[in-house]
Amino acid sequence: MNEMRMLFVVLIPFITGILISVMKFRSRKNMLLFTEVMAILNSILVFLLLLYRPEGALTVFRFTGNLSIRLQLDGMGALFAGMSAILWPFALLYAFEYMKGEKGEKTFFMFYVITYGVTLGIALSENILTMYFFFEMLSLITLPLVMFTRTREAILASRTYLYYMLGGAAFAFVGVIFILTYGCTSSFVPGGVMNLVKIGDKTNMMYLIYIISFCGFAVKTAMWPFSAWLPKAGVAPTPVTALLHAVAVVNTGAFAVMRITYFSFGIRLLRGTWAQYTVMGLVIVTIVYGCSRALKETHIKRRLAWSTVSNLSYILFGVVLMTPLGLVGAMAHMLFHSFMKICSFFCAGAVMHKTGKSYIHELDGMGRKMPRVFVIFTVSALALMGVPGLCGFVSKWYLAKAAMESEDTVAWIGVAALLISALLTAIYMLTIVVRAFFPGKDFDYDRLPDVKDPGWRMLVPLVFFVVMMIVFGLCSGQVMELLQEIAAMSVS
Amino acid sequence: MDFVRNFPFMSIILSLFSGPLTSILNGKWAKRLNTLVIGTVGIMSSFVLAYTLKTKQAFVYIMGHFPAPWGNEIRVGILEAFMAVFFCIIMMLCMMGGIAEREAEIEESKQNLYYIMVNLLLCSLLALIYTNDLFTAYVFVEINTISACGLIMIRQNGRNIEAATRYMIMSLLGSGLLLLGICFLYDLTGQLLMSNIKEAVQLLAASGQYHVPLILALGLMSVGLAIKSALYPFHAWLPDAYGYSTLSSAAILSSLVSKGYIFLLVKIFYRVIGFSVVCESRVINILFVFGILGMLMGSVSAIKEKDIRRMIAFSSVAQIGYIYMGFGLGTEVAVRASVYHILSHAATKALLFVAASGLSDSSGGSRHYRDFTGAGYRNKLAGVAFTVGSLSMVGIPMFSGFISKLLFAQAAMGHDRKMLPTLIALAISTVLNAVYFMKTVIRIYTPVPESAAIVSQRPTVECRRVNWKEQPAKSVSLVFFILLNLLLGLNSEPLLHLIEAGLGMFE
Amino acid sequence: MDILLLVSLLLPATAGICLLLGSFSEHLRAVKQEPRKLPWLPPVVAVVLTVSVALVLSAAWTGRRSMTLFTLVDGLPVYFKVDEISRWFVTIVSVIWLAAGFYSFVYLKHEGEEKRYFGFYLLLYGVLVGLDFSGNLVTMYLFYELMTLVSMPLVLHNGSREAIMAALKYLFYSMCGAYGGLFGIYVLYRYCDSLTFTAGGSLNMTSVSGHEGFVLVGIFVMILGFGVKAGMLPLHAWLPSAHPVAPSPASAVLSGVIVKSGVLALIRGVFYVVGADFIRGTWVQYTWMILALLTVFMGSMLAFREQGFKKRLAYSTVSQVSYILFGLSLLTPMAYVGALLHTAIHAVVKCGLFLVAGVFLYCFEYTKVDELKGLGKRMPAVMWCYTLFSLALIGIPPTAGFISKWYLAEGALKSDTGVISWLGPIVLLLSALLTAGYLLPIVMKGFFPGEEEDEKHSGKVRISWFMLIPLIVLAALAVLLGVFPQILTGYAVEAAGVFGWEVGL
Repeated sequence: MNEMRMLFVVLIPFITGILISVMKFRSRKNMLLFTEVMAILNSILVFLLLLYRPEGALTVFRFTGNLSIRLQLDGMGALFAGMSAILWPFALLYAFEYMKGEKGEKTFFMFYVITYGVTLGIALSENILTMYFFFEMLSLITLPLVMFTRTREAILASRTYLYYMLGGAAFAFVGVIFILTYGCTSSFVPGGVMNLVKIGDKTNMMYLIYIISFCGFAVKTAMWPFSAWLPKAGVAPTPVTALLHAVAVVNTGAFAVMRITYFSFGIRLLRGTWAQYTVMGLVIVTIVYGCSRALKETHIKRRLAWSTVSNLSYILFGVVLMTPLGLVGAMAHMLFHSFMKICSFFCAGAVMHKTGKSYIHELDGMGRKMPRVFVIFTVSALALMGVPGLCGFVSKWYLAKAAMESEDTVAWIGVAALLISALLTAIYMLTIVVRAFFPGKDFDYDRLPDVKDPGWRMLVPLVFFVVMMIVFGLCSGQVMELLQEIAAMSVS
Repeated sequence: MDFVRNFPFMSIILSLFSGPLTSILNGKWAKRLNTLVIGTVGIMSSFVLAYTLKTKQAFVYIMGHFPAPWGNEIRVGILEAFMAVFFCIIMMLCMMGGIAEREAEIEESKQNLYYIMVNLLLCSLLALIYTNDLFTAYVFVEINTISACGLIMIRQNGRNIEAATRYMIMSLLGSGLLLLGICFLYDLTGQLLMSNIKEAVQLLAASGQYHVPLILALGLMSVGLAIKSALYPFHAWLPDAYGYSTLSSAAILSSLVSKGYIFLLVKIFYRVIGFSVVCESRVINILFVFGILGMLMGSVSAIKEKDIRRMIAFSSVAQIGYIYMGFGLGTEVAVRASVYHILSHAATKALLFVAASGLSDSSGGSRHYRDFTGAGYRNKLAGVAFTVGSLSMVGIPMFSGFISKLLFAQAAMGHDRKMLPTLIALAISTVLNAVYFMKTVIRIYTPVPESAAIVSQRPTVECRRVNWKEQPAKSVSLVFFILLNLLLGLNSEPLLHLIEAGLGMFE
Repeated sequence: MDILLLVSLLLPATAGICLLLGSFSEHLRAVKQEPRKLPWLPPVVAVVLTVSVALVLSAAWTGRRSMTLFTLVDGLPVYFKVDEISRWFVTIVSVIWLAAGFYSFVYLKHEGEEKRYFGFYLLLYGVLVGLDFSGNLVTMYLFYELMTLVSMPLVLHNGSREAIMAALKYLFYSMCGAYGGLFGIYVLYRYCDSLTFTAGGSLNMTSVSGHEGFVLVGIFVMILGFGVKAGMLPLHAWLPSAHPVAPSPASAVLSGVIVKSGVLALIRGVFYVVGADFIRGTWVQYTWMILALLTVFMGSMLAFREQGFKKRLAYSTVSQVSYILFGLSLLTPMAYVGALLHTAIHAVVKCGLFLVAGVFLYCFEYTKVDELKGLGKRMPAVMWCYTLFSLALIGIPPTAGFISKWYLAEGALKSDTGVISWLGPIVLLLSALLTAGYLLPIVMKGFFPGEEEDEKHSGKVRISWFMLIPLIVLAALAVLLGVFPQILTGYAVEAAGVFGWEVGL
């Protein structure tokens, strides 16, 4: 029974989603209330699950032989599950205001809630197959959300999205099979499961397969050269872009990479090999590439999407350092980046929702019209840049520290890339801020649309995220200790 | 219970004689008889399956108690019986799904001809599955070819005639090669009964005599059957034949006919030549290369195709490629994967054909990709079914395609040199599959833009909503296909045990 | 926890934030109003500023205080400590802040948005005090970043397109520098025992061994990074764009104080964390020296060619701050003392010069050098101040500039740095000549404009005492510090003493 609770938290969102589409609500408000209550309920269950952790694993279903869907909660999964549990209710709250008046709201909320369950499924996966299963499911469930607006652009974007997602999964599948065949078990075991006797002299093959599966999973994190889908997927409504394409979906990619690197292949086999350097090279390129593309982009959501590309590679960089400390940095950035990026996306979404403007040059002077939103945006921009006192600095600090301690030339270059990227981040984020607040002396404020700050449903999540950014930035000690503990568990 | 031993032979005879019988019936009755025959054969085969599962060993049924080499033998194991059941189910569902099309597309007076062909086809398939005699197998291969030709040609328009002719030529070429191979074997061993040939071949192989002719025979038979089952690059006949024939023909051809040949090839590998000899020969390398090429090129052609039916047909080329790639890997596990893929592909491809026709119903009968815009909303069941089929083809967990992909990949892992090419080919092929299938899925769930009529040059198609009650038979067959697919995807373990046990009985 | 230290940090910052919130709430109400008169603002700011300065100075000069606030990251606390360098810099900052602050009360009527200006002005003071009092590298970095962000609105204060672009340029160059510095911090965190400032550095030689090259690269990047704020080549270009567009008192503090934060950061990084011994004689030192010398010369040349008055002063800052950097890069006691002296003296002088430029702008809207003719008769007091500042900057005895340059040249000659030891003083001398070349013509034109100019512009112009008194005080300082050098040199020698360096003339 204790273990069954894991299944519940995965299934409740599914059931909720189906109920939303089936049930007849008397008014929109009732539907929203129902959705929110169910989401909060599920989040509470998740936190209860984290507090009273079930020790064992739960076999949900068996495919064939030893291939089964199994759920288990370990430290890393707990981090991811907890993060999702915090974000979803807030994102839903925001979505309620954002989606007002859109056609097909019911479908939207149905899929939006279901993704919650799928994400939790990934967090709770006990073995590689389960993770792969939910991984594929996530691609499919998010598809209707990407093509939600049904414009030509959205259809094209969703097509690209799907090709990348399924293509990535196809290559990840190679790794999955390799682990199934050459691993002692398909479960995630700290330190890796590779059966050295079976592998024998095929180590180079193993490295190659690691790279292939790394790339496969990293498609979800939009690593270069597989990053084109993410900015395109920005045609989706902002709650989707913010929660899924800046946080949940892309983080599952990073999470999966952590899993295969630390729990399946094992860092002992990979550290110092050409496999590590290859993936690290790709990641470093992405860090700079994402930022430079963001700089070039004039559409605000696409700019943020490119920024996500770069930031996700920070996480991957921490992962491929293949040291406990690197993992700490990666997990910290995963956690903190979620807050920063969802916050900046929500701000951008609020502006787009209110004014219908989506290009940066159209935002001139908007700081006066929507001051709260833009102040919050500024804070998230500063956090993304890594200004000390906000959470971005902390995670970058750990990443750099880990890179320094690995005493590795490529890692040192990575640190340089981090800083270059931070500089570029400063440029592309602060130009927005400066333009919004200081449009110029002769700027005619009457020309702006007559809008005000959005309602409480949008502001509550924003304020919450800002508070989290500052809290994490100033009092990172306990969180980091926790992460260090998790990392230690994941490597032993 | 031993009476069940008669069932395989009886089912062959039943379907064989129901053919001539049908010729004196009119269309309506022919249809009923046909359904009855398929049903009966299915039930009888299930009994046989139950019997073999219980006795856990294969039995040989000697016709008229004349022992070989004068008499003719049937050999039934778990896998044979299971294949018979499965083929009957698929055939039944295909026939159900295509009723409306048949009635619309085939002349009233020729309706019963169609059922003759189907009955004969069933007969030949059963014979291919059960027979223990290589020459009998050849005979029924020919019958199979003829009846398949009939199925294609029955819808009499120009393209069909052309397609049937092309199919005929290619098929006969294949049969010819098969016959040559059989002749060589006969020459080498002096036997025609499979088990006897195998003994002789084992001796030859052990002594190292006649190595080249033996390999030549194997190669001829493999290539002959490969042509008939449309392995790339011998697939030229396939898209037209599947694309323009009537729905149930296309579904049956793609899911059953080619699979019958492949099953025969499996039997030849195991029961005639001996699997170890096959594995040592280079023939499987050829099959491997062609299989991989097929996987990729089939999909590439499918991506270029705008006609949905032809697209699905090209996808068959790719899927056949998977199966041959499995043979090419030359391990027990890989062959098991191939056999599983026979099942999985049969279930999925027929589903896709039927679902595509359902979508086409709601789009004014057009088969052009662009006209399918929003069809998933107009015909909900077909939309769901098509999505399920596509997801299965792409290999999403829960659906049958995933399991076969998993099995293939696992089989490849056991191989040193062929591991990486196989894995990469699987991955690329998955991506390609995703490209054309998911593109279509997205297209059928794209609402029709209001200004489409003005923008597009093409005449707009007549869109209408299709309720599932409109063609209950088709709906039922779709539902069953979906269930079958999920069954294969979610409950694959018993099936795999069954296949393993069945293959074990081949030895 | 040291209450005095905390209060001296928080008071200006809080006051600044309150003003900003006030200005922000006006935006929130989103009512378009005519700019209101704010008669209460200058007195309040004056009181707050004076009180904070008093608190800061008393905190600085009464004992060696230290305070730990909370852990920022990875066990590294936000830690404040008062030591000789803190005192030196915090005193400079306070004096300049007071002078420029009082000057602003009148001047800002010219610019508008006073609430916002004083908000950032006070906040920036708090940040700078925090920067000066920082006890470890991370705390310093925290305030260093904040300083960039808070000073940026001062640059774009007038809101013109040019100002905004300049502010962005300032921001991005500074960020670039800060991240360079951060790279150094990362490296040092790995190879040092602690990031807390200890005289002579705390480089852990056992962990460094084998990675000397990389550590040197890290240090070099840090020097380049912090050098950005100090306007060192190759990333000096922000300075001539940002300083002129800001309101003049803001330019004054930017040129007088903010650029010195780069110097402070370098002193902290090189002398208090790495230790001078580690880089002495390495390529890092030589490259640093050469860059500094190049900047000295190039800044002067560019200033000489420049026609915009404030821009000329900005180029002059580029050149003069690199005097300081050159002094630091020599890594000898005498040059170190010279660098410290020049920090103080240049702050006073350059602040004064910018305030003078502000007067011209405020009264006549003069921005070009050509326009500055005959001003000696119209506002003699201001022109005399300008003359004194010019002489001090050139380094003519008995003004203060002479002292610092003497120490710098002496330090260079006494160092064993090969060619540089005699090339350095020559460049400094050359640059002094150029300085004379770009500053003195204004004095001459001011007092002797020629015949026709006399008729065009005549009549004395009175300026507010609020503007005049800071000028006079600064000018007096510029002279008095030269006449009684031992006030400064005594302390600077003492500050060099913590490294065990004996300095005698």
